[in-house]
Amino acid sequence: MTSTATAAPPKQRRQRTISIGGAILIVIYTMLPIVWILSLSLKSPGDLTNKKFLPSHWTLGNYRTVFKTSLFTDALRNSIGISLIATVIGVVVATFAAYAIARLDFPGKRAILSLALAIAIFPQVALLGSLFSMWRAVKLYDTWPGLIIPYVSFTLPLSIWVLSAFFREIPWEMEQAAQVDGATAWQAFTKAIVPLAAPGVFTTAIIAFFAAWQDFAFAITLTSTNRARTVPAALAFFTGASQFQQPTTAIAAGAIVVTVPIIILVLVFQRRIVAGLTAGAVKG
Amino acid sequence: MTVTAPEREASVVPAEAPHSYGMSERTRKERRLGWKLTAPAVILMLAVTGYPMVNALYLSLFSYRLTDPSGRKFVGLANYGVVLRDSLWWQDVVTTVIITVVTVAIELVIGFVFAMVMNKIIFGRRTVRTAILLPYGIITVVSAFAWKYAFALDSGFVSNWLGWLVGKNYNWFGHRGSALLVICLEEIWKTTPFISLLLLAGLSQVPEVLQEAAKVDGATFMQRLWKVTIPNMKAAIMVAVLFRALDAWRIFESIFIMTAGAQKTESLSFLTYRQSITRVALGIGSAVSVLLFVTMVIIAAIFLKGFKVDLGTVKGERR
Amino acid sequence: MMVLVGGLAACGGGGSGGTTTLQWYGPPDSAGATDLIVKSCNQQSNGAYRLVNNPLPSTADGQREQLVRRMAAKDSTVDLMTVDPPYTAELANAGWLTVFTPDERAQLLQGVLDSPTKSAVWKGQLVAAPWEANTQLLWYDKSVAKAAGVDPTSPDFTWDQMIDAAVKTGKTVAEQGNRYEGYMVWVNALVLSAGGSILTDNDKGRDAVPSLNSAAGKTAAEIIRKLATSKAADPALSSADEGASLATFEGPTGGFLLNWPYVYATIQANVKLGSVRKSVLDNLGWARYPEAVAGQPSTPPLGGGNVAISKFSKNQSKAFAALKCIISPEMEKQNILVSGNPIANGAVYDDPQVQKLFPMATLMRDSINAAGPRPVTPYYGDVSAAVQRDWHPQSSLNPDSAPAATAKLISNVLHDKRLL
Repeated sequence: MTSTATAAPPKQRRQRTISIGGAILIVIYTMLPIVWILSLSLKSPGDLTNKKFLPSHWTLGNYRTVFKTSLFTDALRNSIGISLIATVIGVVVATFAAYAIARLDFPGKRAILSLALAIAIFPQVALLGSLFSMWRAVKLYDTWPGLIIPYVSFTLPLSIWVLSAFFREIPWEMEQAAQVDGATAWQAFTKAIVPLAAPGVFTTAIIAFFAAWQDFAFAITLTSTNRARTVPAALAFFTGASQFQQPTTAIAAGAIVVTVPIIILVLVFQRRIVAGLTAGAVKG
Repeated sequence: MTVTAPEREASVVPAEAPHSYGMSERTRKERRLGWKLTAPAVILMLAVTGYPMVNALYLSLFSYRLTDPSGRKFVGLANYGVVLRDSLWWQDVVTTVIITVVTVAIELVIGFVFAMVMNKIIFGRRTVRTAILLPYGIITVVSAFAWKYAFALDSGFVSNWLGWLVGKNYNWFGHRGSALLVICLEEIWKTTPFISLLLLAGLSQVPEVLQEAAKVDGATFMQRLWKVTIPNMKAAIMVAVLFRALDAWRIFESIFIMTAGAQKTESLSFLTYRQSITRVALGIGSAVSVLLFVTMVIIAAIFLKGFKVDLGTVKGERR
Repeated sequence: MMVLVGGLAACGGGGSGGTTTLQWYGPPDSAGATDLIVKSCNQQSNGAYRLVNNPLPSTADGQREQLVRRMAAKDSTVDLMTVDPPYTAELANAGWLTVFTPDERAQLLQGVLDSPTKSAVWKGQLVAAPWEANTQLLWYDKSVAKAAGVDPTSPDFTWDQMIDAAVKTGKTVAEQGNRYEGYMVWVNALVLSAGGSILTDNDKGRDAVPSLNSAAGKTAAEIIRKLATSKAADPALSSADEGASLATFEGPTGGFLLNWPYVYATIQANVKLGSVRKSVLDNLGWARYPEAVAGQPSTPPLGGGNVAISKFSKNQSKAFAALKCIISPEMEKQNILVSGNPIANGAVYDDPQVQKLFPMATLMRDSINAAGPRPVTPYYGDVSAAVQRDWHPQSSLNPDSAPAATAKLISNVLHDKRLL
């Protein structure tokens, strides 16, 4: 960072221009489709085919439609609750497992990694029917735990893989060094290791949350009412004015609404991840 | 010459821990701790998938439809023969390969750029970082709808904007090549943040001292990238590419919404979905599922061998 | 965690005292006709039952998927369900629908048009009550027809004449050509109109005989290919659904459109909104589905919805009482007025309010009466998917080989010898 500050003015200016230009390009690239969804959400259903980027008549009608029924509002509550709980449980369980895999020597380690990989790649469509019957038998059908459990199970493989790859690179000797310096084991762990592990853990958390947040297949198969139905499944229940009209504008409005929590989450998490990065920079 | 992080001592176990006999108290304790820590994960994973996976294998040996329970009949491995002899299976294999290779290759490059930008950016950092991660949070189905409506002839602005290039009446979803292009574009836009996020976590582990040392030695940016940065984040790259490739191999929702598999854009996952869920032909559908699983095992094996990264090894051991 | 507690607590209710609760699963209905019917029937029942409306997903595939999964698990929490006509036979053949006695049949079919009944009968027995019925009409721009010198309302108007008229005037014939169920609706209507059928001996289940390889099959393929390769083809034909074809018709090249009557209300709404030119509505004409073969009356497409009672329902007699209420002429009138969906009861079309809503109400009824169902078979999904796969895209359809190839594919697929 300091090297750019001391560089010659013209070079600095050029670098600044490139970085500003690059930043603008990136924002346009990532935001254009989102602005398009926003624009769709402000079109009336008949305006959908105006072949223009912007609505010819702006309307908030779709947002009113979305909030009119409990279908969407309940789904929003379910989505937030289920995804958060699944993320917390998933990250805790995955952290335990990944720590063991990266740090301890015990038989069965490769078997666990292989099992995780196998589960990660087994086609979900092949599981839906059986899971539906199982959940009905054990009374988990159409409940929060009925979705939380599969979400945790299916994000575990990736979480374990990411975290164990990450933990393997952490200089654990710093923990011992801290202990030698007189810190207790817990202090050594929280002061020396936690800051280094944070980026990996938060990366895993954001991936786990998004996986639960976006899932459609489990949500549509394992729920039947507003009790546990999440937003992606609820979107499938949206209708146009007639059965032959796509409720796309209303779906877009719903999508924009559920993007707000995502923005908040990303703002919080990217900070955490990046905070960990700077901590990581001093090591080695 | 590749510069890697200095070897660190395995901090807990000596690499040559005795195995069967003369196991020390410490080794035994470590084993027990290892099992205890991994048990919740293993139990959770098996609780949900154990029975359904076995059941799928079993059902694949039958000619069986959910809507015709009495017509169920054992056919052995015949379903597998039917699938592997069918041109549709192979056509879908080709389509899936195209989508996977194109999207993962492009995403790896863009994802790396994004990761470096997120790592080093000075100007408008919070906006840019958020913008980069946002597409990942958009619900897949909605993203697919948005791209579909952007390119569709009756509703899209793209045919207006790109009219000079392909003609105003060009039906993007009416040709295999252009339909696959739109599908790939959507997929790349949507999932690049996933790769960049994992690469960003990996970047944090490249020791700064090595970068500085290389700088002092007069290495250019590209030299540092190839000789310092990339070799030191091999594990992160491997995990990112492996899981992204496996995900791309299972592409389903965007195809389902944009073309519904028309114009030969059907993927293997879509094929599986149609046999198992739409046709409720559980026998042949399970056979397709198992074969899809096998193709993914092959991909995973190629990656793990190709990258030669073994996460099962304790750091410092056999390296 | 607070949210979790709230979520679980909210689910408690339901166990109300003596009244039997009947769960009715059907397509979501944003217009509110279903809610209205449920409310009226509950009032009329005097506490004998309490009908509850549960929406299924909005797509026909999504609805079927949920129903099949629940029925296969012998789910007793479903009492009544609205089934898409082509999938009624599938559910009935699996033994999941209550079969009605001749006496019940007479009660349920009172005043019901003939055609919708065909899709509610499996192996000679009534397994569901026709509730909504739908059909496609020919919608056209009167100025275009005039310029081309044709009269679409003439009983002898054919597909050939329509395509030629559109080519002559530089306009389009908009149809549903995307690879989906709507395309099957088109193919089936052409085959039936040409005097053939896609499948025969349907009662034999997977041993039914594909009959597409016939003169009628060839005629149908020739018409589709002619349109697709002519200047009258919508550029978006191979990916057009109902909405996209309507958009083409509303646009500058609109001439002719084959579509369900919902387009009438939609065009009116769009004109009011200003997104469609007023002249589209002013020049809008409607006629019966065109003939495939000159001189042979057409068989228009048939759609709609049947209401069935689940075999696993523990409240059979009350469910039947509720069903009778749902399909009564009074409720059918409410339905068409509020939802705009055409209904199965013939007399309701004479109602002045209905006539005012749909100036073409009588034509709609005649068209439903003349309409033919898609193949009534437990394997309908496979038959439809096979046709869609082989006959798409339209421009590369070969009328000489496609019918035979598709007939063979259907029979192979039914015997698990091919993928689909």
